[in-house]
Amino acid sequence: MQNIPEEKIASPEAIRKGLQDNGYVASRPIATTVFLACQLGKPVLIEGPAGVGKTELAKTAASFLDLPFIRLQSYEGLDESKALYEWKYGKQLLYTQLLKDKLDSIINRENGFSESIDKLHRYDDIFFSRHFLEPRPLLKAIQQEQGAVLLVDEIDKSDDEFEAFLLELLSDFQVSIPEIGTVQAVTKPFVFLTSNNTRELSEALKRRCLHLFIPFPDPALERNIVRIRVPGISERLGRQLIAFIQAVRQLEVRKAPSISETIDWARVMLVLHADQLNIDLVRDTLNVFLKFEEDIAVVTERLHQLTSGAVNAAGD
Amino acid sequence: MDRVLGDFITSLRHAGVRISISETLDALQTVQLIGYGDRDMLNHSLSAALAKSAREKEIFVRCFDHFFSFDYFAPAEPAARARQAPAEPAVDASLMQMLLAGDQAVLFMAMQEAARAANLMGIQFFTQRSSFTMRIMNRMGVQGLDSMIQQLQTEGTPAALGQAAALEKARTFLVDNVRRYVDQQLSLNMPSATEDLLMSYLRHAKLSTLEQQHLQDMHVIIQRMVKRLNDLHSRRKKTAKRGQLDFKKTLRHNITYQGFLFDPKWKKKKIDRPDIVVICDISRSVMRTVRFLLLFLYGLNKAIARIRTFILCSNLIEVTSIFDEYPVEVAIEKIRLGADLPILMGRTDYDQSFRDFREDYMGSVSRKTTVLILGDARNNYAEAQTGVVKMIYERSKRLIWLNPETPSFWGTGDSEMKKYTPFCSVVKECNTLHHLAGVVTALIHHRH
Repeated sequence: MQNIPEEKIASPEAIRKGLQDNGYVASRPIATTVFLACQLGKPVLIEGPAGVGKTELAKTAASFLDLPFIRLQSYEGLDESKALYEWKYGKQLLYTQLLKDKLDSIINRENGFSESIDKLHRYDDIFFSRHFLEPRPLLKAIQQEQGAVLLVDEIDKSDDEFEAFLLELLSDFQVSIPEIGTVQAVTKPFVFLTSNNTRELSEALKRRCLHLFIPFPDPALERNIVRIRVPGISERLGRQLIAFIQAVRQLEVRKAPSISETIDWARVMLVLHADQLNIDLVRDTLNVFLKFEEDIAVVTERLHQLTSGAVNAAGD
Repeated sequence: MDRVLGDFITSLRHAGVRISISETLDALQTVQLIGYGDRDMLNHSLSAALAKSAREKEIFVRCFDHFFSFDYFAPAEPAARARQAPAEPAVDASLMQMLLAGDQAVLFMAMQEAARAANLMGIQFFTQRSSFTMRIMNRMGVQGLDSMIQQLQTEGTPAALGQAAALEKARTFLVDNVRRYVDQQLSLNMPSATEDLLMSYLRHAKLSTLEQQHLQDMHVIIQRMVKRLNDLHSRRKKTAKRGQLDFKKTLRHNITYQGFLFDPKWKKKKIDRPDIVVICDISRSVMRTVRFLLLFLYGLNKAIARIRTFILCSNLIEVTSIFDEYPVEVAIEKIRLGADLPILMGRTDYDQSFRDFREDYMGSVSRKTTVLILGDARNNYAEAQTGVVKMIYERSKRLIWLNPETPSFWGTGDSEMKKYTPFCSVVKECNTLHHLAGVVTALIHHRH
């Protein structure tokens, strides 16, 4: 399969270490699934709430495996001309104009009409050859000699048609281009698909993928993540901060703060040179991890209780 | 194939996780890679290969815990193992040896073997419990054990009696464990049987007899139905006389003219979604059915872009916005009770309601519209004009009338169904989900 040093993907533990060296703290299920994906050559479908590091996992995997990272952002109306390939129409036109004389001479020298056509037929394929093909992310991914990490981000945002179109790529790692034929992957790429579950994906797609659900992390894991992503933050503040965030997640909020928001908050704390949580500090920085007016109101109401709870939970 | 894995997948399927053959192969490869050594890792990796949604993950965790639990034949008291002296030479029944040696793993293996031979995976109902327990015990050789106990008791020497008592105890221990094992297998298998039964019951039961508690299940079935309806009405691109320039197509087409673009091609998204107007009777005579009809309408409303919903009793009002704004239970209760709405819950008056419709909403019916009327046409002996219905029929593409009563009751008493029937494209009895599904199919396939 890929030209990846065997020892890198020898066990889930090796993968966990490798990802961690690249700044991604993987839980055991994550490491195990990535391990399986490497070993079985299967795409991974990652689901979970926004901001738990779905996209980040794919990015980190690319840097860990030292492969080019190719990303395709899905949206409603995404079609194959944007995802797979497009003909370079301008170039085709230009070439036909440039070669006009040439073509004329080819045609003129022959007497019969049908002979001219025959002659032309020998050349017409050149305009629909690889030289005129503009590869888009999917085609690019399967053409990479060394293999690649392909991320199809937020697949749930695309249409059903696009999802169906992906099936060929995901199961056989090949795509069909009518004018050229089937293009087989040189090296199987690693494929990550992410979904926020805004709609149910089709059974067929799920069947072809390994499925990974990334939930919000438990306190220990989150602390680990903050420690690695925001190295400057003090141990005590880190603990308080995470206790606070975990408590907020238990509340009825419209959008629970995600890991990326925890990290943002930790960075803000670092910039503010804070060394421990207090009510004023929290009130001033609530908007870093809460993105709705109502949510801020809900948390502000319980600010005192939450802050003291977090400080106590952190063991001070 | 790996037997344990096979059994595990069977029980997952029973529990309602859909697992295809290709996924089974994945799981098999996974197990070959991971092995059975690390329980956690096995859990994570099988979960990645087999369970593909939040609901399935939940079921998976439950099944996994059940299936891979090995706490059988744990010594009841720590001293139990050391207590017994080595068995007498006369005792050669292997079961007895196993019991007396108290080897947990060996006993468990023997039990699993016996269970497999007795086809325990086929257990479906709790009434089968004792027969399966009996069968497994017999296969493990419990008869030999019984006769040995008897023999020892008739011997009557103190040593023999002591051993008989020990064996007796061991036997109870064995029965307990086998029974527990059978129970566990049953709990792995049973939910599916009951779930399937429930689903088929719900499909064919009269809507009026269904209880509130099934509302959620119905919601699921209806959503599935509506999804199918919507899928078949997905967008199509169509070449049209005007619209956006389809550059790709234009170039491709004009290459034959030396690249001069004199034959432009246009593209236009043609949205082929149904345009539906629904009028639903919510009066007391159809009250029991109404909740489910509303559930169906709610599903339709969520899936179909152009749908307007009206309810009628003594008068007629539009409720499309309520479906849009509220979650399903709230919306349905709100509409059913008519609270805060300008609807009069007096005697049903189809005549007045249709007049209301003509006054305010006739504009929403065009040649592309399918009009769906849900109601029993019981007009409380008031006068029933057919004028408006005729008008709707003429203006719309189709007028479908769904009546919750069986056809033999149409036209009896105060039912005006017979009067309205000539002006409907389709008249159908509709009081089970099965009927509703039929309507959905009709909506799709009867395209002009």
